[in-house]
Amino acid sequence: MVHISDGILSLPVLAAGWAITAVLIAVALWWSKRKGSIAEEIPKLSVMTAAFFVASLVHIAVGPTSVHLILCGLVGIMLGILAYPAIFIGLLLQAFLFGHGGVTVLGVNTVDMGIPALVAYGIFKAGNKLTPSKSMTSKASILGALAGGIAVALAVSLTAGMLYTLGEEYAWAIKALILYHIPIIVIEAIIAGSVVAFLARVKPELIGG
Amino acid sequence: MIEYPEIDRYASLDSPLHRFDPRAKLIAFLSLIFSIVLVPDLKVAFIGLLFAVFMLILSRIPLTFVFHYLEWVAIFILSFFVILIFTFPGEEIARFYLLSITAEGLYTGSLITVRAFSALILIFPMIGTMRFDTTIKALYRLRVPGSLVQMLMFTYRYIFVLMDEFQSIWTAMESRGFQLRSNFYALSTIGKALGMLFVRSYERAERVYQAMCSRGYTGNPRTLVEFDIRMKDYLLAVSIMGFAVSLHIASFTGVI
Repeated sequence: MVHISDGILSLPVLAAGWAITAVLIAVALWWSKRKGSIAEEIPKLSVMTAAFFVASLVHIAVGPTSVHLILCGLVGIMLGILAYPAIFIGLLLQAFLFGHGGVTVLGVNTVDMGIPALVAYGIFKAGNKLTPSKSMTSKASILGALAGGIAVALAVSLTAGMLYTLGEEYAWAIKALILYHIPIIVIEAIIAGSVVAFLARVKPELIGG
Repeated sequence: MIEYPEIDRYASLDSPLHRFDPRAKLIAFLSLIFSIVLVPDLKVAFIGLLFAVFMLILSRIPLTFVFHYLEWVAIFILSFFVILIFTFPGEEIARFYLLSITAEGLYTGSLITVRAFSALILIFPMIGTMRFDTTIKALYRLRVPGSLVQMLMFTYRYIFVLMDEFQSIWTAMESRGFQLRSNFYALSTIGKALGMLFVRSYERAERVYQAMCSRGYTGNPRTLVEFDIRMKDYLLAVSIMGFAVSLHIASFTGVI
């Protein structure tokens, strides 16, 4: 739930978020068109986006509150570059269907979650290259947990950074945000590790973009 | 465990906003939302909130439905409000033991809360007054790139299918005695259940794509819906957008 709501950020930050998101979506779609027809990708990408949307509805009790899964690292590991448009669509639907996040902050929120997804993809790819052919499952589980945890930590940091643009007065609100998300980072790392290990055994073609 | 997202449950009611042309409606309300979230003055933002509530009443969407939808988000926004009024530096106006409320904190917190709720409430007259597939078609007619519109269309469609899929996985787990706790075992089991959801979704995606190809899918969106924009739609859109602009004129000149 690293969503910034509508009505908090300033115009320059909102505009920058939309600009970065527009460029990255265009690049991601162009990249996948280069490799072949986009017609094949769209239905598959959409079904996976819907799966992530459903997965993010699972809530887990943490102390007195409950948290929703973010899963941005996992999106990156499974969808590669196309994770960015997938996250945009997922957030757009969350804003429209549930009021989570918001319409004007869609660009910013996609940056906050999409860039960590791309980083997680990078970490996973690089980790796979660096450690060739050890026991597949345990490697996948460690790399998945690492990429998943780092992605959520990065998403929280980016969100905190966006709030920081408002000024020093928000320091305590930012601290509360970070504190709230520390258990989520641990939960997400465990779940990402478990999902990736499962997929490495059952359906290896699903991981690694 | 999870509820279907039914933002368009009341799309079949009849009101001036239900009859509003979908494209004009999206443009008008999106401009209004962008305008309200950037209003720098609390009084003006409050007028924006009143207008949002007026639009909601005009749409005849039941308020209980709206409240139910906003529960979760309201908790989030209100906790941000509480944190801000106690931690924002400035002139102290009230004190509870160790905590003090500042005037600046109260002002900024209220401004953010009012703007956030206005934007949230306006989603209902904008999206809730037409079927969601009409919204998506309107976006396509407004020149949103075709590949994004298609992703939106398919993703929306498959959310419901996959919710049922996950629900059946979940029921199977619970009937074997699984309980959701925040310990390592439960979390790694959820991971496996999600992994199963992704595998099934992927296999379904293959079948969906082949079925679509065999029906002549080429990657271009096709739509049969025809929109009919009239004078009254232009008038309504222009007056909503005029209101959006006047909020900024009012806060800039300080009239209110």
